[in-house]
Amino acid sequence: MAKAELKTNNKTEIEDSSSLKGTLASVFLLGAFIVVTWVSVYYLFVERF
Amino acid sequence: MIEGEQIMHMHKFEKIWLTFGIGALIVFLTTVGVSAFYLGNKPPSCLTTINVDKVDQTKPFDKPGLHKVEGKDWDYELVYVASAFSYNPVKVEVPLGAKVKVIATTKDVVHGFEVAGTNINMMLEPGYVSEYTTTFDKAGEYLIVCNEYCGAGHHLMSSMIEVKK
Repeated sequence: MAKAELKTNNKTEIEDSSSLKGTLASVFLLGAFIVVTWVSVYYLFVERF
Repeated sequence: MIEGEQIMHMHKFEKIWLTFGIGALIVFLTTVGVSAFYLGNKPPSCLTTINVDKVDQTKPFDKPGLHKVEGKDWDYELVYVASAFSYNPVKVEVPLGAKVKVIATTKDVVHGFEVAGTNINMMLEPGYVSEYTTTFDKAGEYLIVCNEYCGAGHHLMSSMIEVKK
């Protein structure tokens, strides 16, 4: 009686979808926006009496 | 795979933006902290109270206007009494470069006190005294407007500060 095949030579390829480059870019775009707006408002506050 | 390894793993990018975020938070909070505890900045209405029915008899509001003072951290006191729908005084001349403590209150309802184009922007509440100390270091005419709706004549409320050499 034939045994059920348990081992195969086919390796399942798992695609690496964990790249965070886009996330890093968007986080720093948002970060830069927050810093620029904060600094410009703070500059207004310091310049005025 | 061991479960723990998966939990502990943190991507390099995550470390970068967490450092950036926490760093930004520290910078912003330090700025606010230095402003409050080193420079002594505080809200304009900071616990000083007044009997709202006796404003005209209470110092310094019995004599509104600009007064030179001695022995204080500021050179002048600029006293304002607001009521529906005007400020007393209506026009004031301030010498350029003078360090002035602006002291204001209201005789009736809540009024605003905004010196347009400057950081002097206070809410005047009945029973409370609002103060702001600053150095008038830019010459020009500055319009004071009420920015809290106080009634039918709200839009007529104004006063003028002229900063002159």
